[in-house]
Amino acid sequence: MNIAISLRDYRQVVIITGLSFCLLVVTLYSLTVGAVFIPVTDVAVILLQKLGLFTSVEVDNMHVVVLNSIRIPRIVMTMLIGAALGISGAALQGLFRNPLVEPSLIGVSGGSAAAVVVLIVFGSSLALPDSGLLRDSVLSLVAFGGGLLATLLVLGMSKQGGRTNISVLVLIGVAINAMSWAIIGLAIFYADENQLRAFTFWTLGDLGGASWDKLSIAAPVLVLSSVLLLFYARSLNALALGEAEAYHLGVDTERTKRIVILLSALAVGISVSLAGMISFVGLVVPHVIRVLFFPDNRLVLPASILCGALLLIIGDLIARTMVSPAELPIGVVTALIGAPFFIGLLLKAKQKNEL
Amino acid sequence: MYAASNISFHAREKRILQEVSIALQPRTFTAVVGPNGAGKSSLLKAMAYEQQRFQGEVMINGRNVKSFRPKELSRVRAVLPQSTTMQFAFTVNQIVLMGRHAHLTTKRENDSIVEEVLHLTDIAHLKERNYLTLSGGEKQRVQLARVLTQVWEETVYPRYILLDEPTSSLDIAQQQNIFSLAKVVCERNIGVMAIIHDLNQAVQFADHIHFMRDGKIVAAGEAQSVFTKTNIEETFCCSVNIYHDPCNNCPYIIPERSLKQNPGLLSKVVTNA
Repeated sequence: MNIAISLRDYRQVVIITGLSFCLLVVTLYSLTVGAVFIPVTDVAVILLQKLGLFTSVEVDNMHVVVLNSIRIPRIVMTMLIGAALGISGAALQGLFRNPLVEPSLIGVSGGSAAAVVVLIVFGSSLALPDSGLLRDSVLSLVAFGGGLLATLLVLGMSKQGGRTNISVLVLIGVAINAMSWAIIGLAIFYADENQLRAFTFWTLGDLGGASWDKLSIAAPVLVLSSVLLLFYARSLNALALGEAEAYHLGVDTERTKRIVILLSALAVGISVSLAGMISFVGLVVPHVIRVLFFPDNRLVLPASILCGALLLIIGDLIARTMVSPAELPIGVVTALIGAPFFIGLLLKAKQKNEL
Repeated sequence: MYAASNISFHAREKRILQEVSIALQPRTFTAVVGPNGAGKSSLLKAMAYEQQRFQGEVMINGRNVKSFRPKELSRVRAVLPQSTTMQFAFTVNQIVLMGRHAHLTTKRENDSIVEEVLHLTDIAHLKERNYLTLSGGEKQRVQLARVLTQVWEETVYPRYILLDEPTSSLDIAQQQNIFSLAKVVCERNIGVMAIIHDLNQAVQFADHIHFMRDGKIVAAGEAQSVFTKTNIEETFCCSVNIYHDPCNNCPYIIPERSLKQNPGLLSKVVTNA
């Protein structure tokens, strides 16, 4: 008995450690690849010098500049967005007791994208500059605001007698998404060539715009919302039995629903504002964990953080190198590698009767 | 004592519960019987404080249910629903352990409670099995084990278990099994309330029976004394005959064929054919 329990905990530690190690290796490798090849020893030395170690070792100054101002911000942003998408997907699937849920369901991605597209197309009449920090920050803010507004609408309209009715919420989410896409379609109708191009980046994702400036506000929010979601692992486990059952077990279900949805909206809204819509990470990552390992949210949530970051960094690596010097949209890559992998997992799970 | 007094509940214009009062005692098995739509489940939901918009008062061990936080409530009462569907492949052990969600006991104590309950409910061999692959009877025993785990440890105050038609999709052996377990655990200073459809099971297991109809309690009392032809016929609108088990003198009913009651029914069927 005790052996079985400790075995489970032991497995959890092994899985988390293994995933962290993979993430570290892939991150280091990813930092070496690009227009300029930087040997992994240089990458390691430059990173350690940031911690005040090996300061006497000489490294190529250009390598330092490329890493510091281009690659490191990009990889940090990629990692944080992957992590945020992974854990929000996992938390929302747990909350809705439905493995097909992804963050777009609560309206957040559609709302963000619609707000951004409207701003891109009609922004010139609002005296918005064509580029620069002001434009970036306004776009980010608008994306986040649009996402939050859509989520609050969905959440507010699905209240029934003081409680959130989950099936109503899902349907209203579908309707709000349809409305967002209609707004996007309308904006496209009035868009010119350049605006269409900018819009494509927003709906297919683009990790190219990373900078320390953008990260200074976004990174703490992404980290905070992801870490806070981790605290809901046990409540989400109880919710797997059903809402009434979770309440009987002592979970404050209303509070849990509200907080998990708002934290997910925050994480996804910020992600969309940084890099546009990146599909499939939030849907696939938690599934992979559940099918490969086990569905206990105390594993699924932290592992989704690591696995989401891992998947997005690998995706970004492919997007940067496949057609270099050009870049593929990251959303295309995540869907291209995510979808077949996902189908394979589903077929395997179907055979084992685990769905 | 777990006492509901003057519970009324309306859904739109319809009155679901009208001034219902019921009191559960620890170490006692109380059955609630009545036709479909009588308000049995609504009463149970109000008592569990899952439904919170009712008039009247529910007191658990002398304290108003409204003053409990969800966590505190879960330490004095557990609820077993008709059936529980799950989407994710949790193991039996993980599900039973969820019963300890709101408790402050250590992992070691929780594990030993789970172990004890798994043996009592005879599912120890299923411990590492995937819940989704179990049969209906096995699933319900796992859920019962989870509910028992929630209120298992001996405390100074009595605990309560509410069962909402817990055997409605099970075969006869599984039904007897679930009710026998519920009856036995009363000995741990636990009060049990069960909504039961099978009247013969109600009188076999319950110490008290409450008859409900149209949102009201129409008869209540010590099981064998309220188990009368009049009470049953008035509650269910169905003619029955009461017999007695020659071995233990426990009463049982056999309903009369309704054709005799309603001679028009046969003629309707025949003319339509």
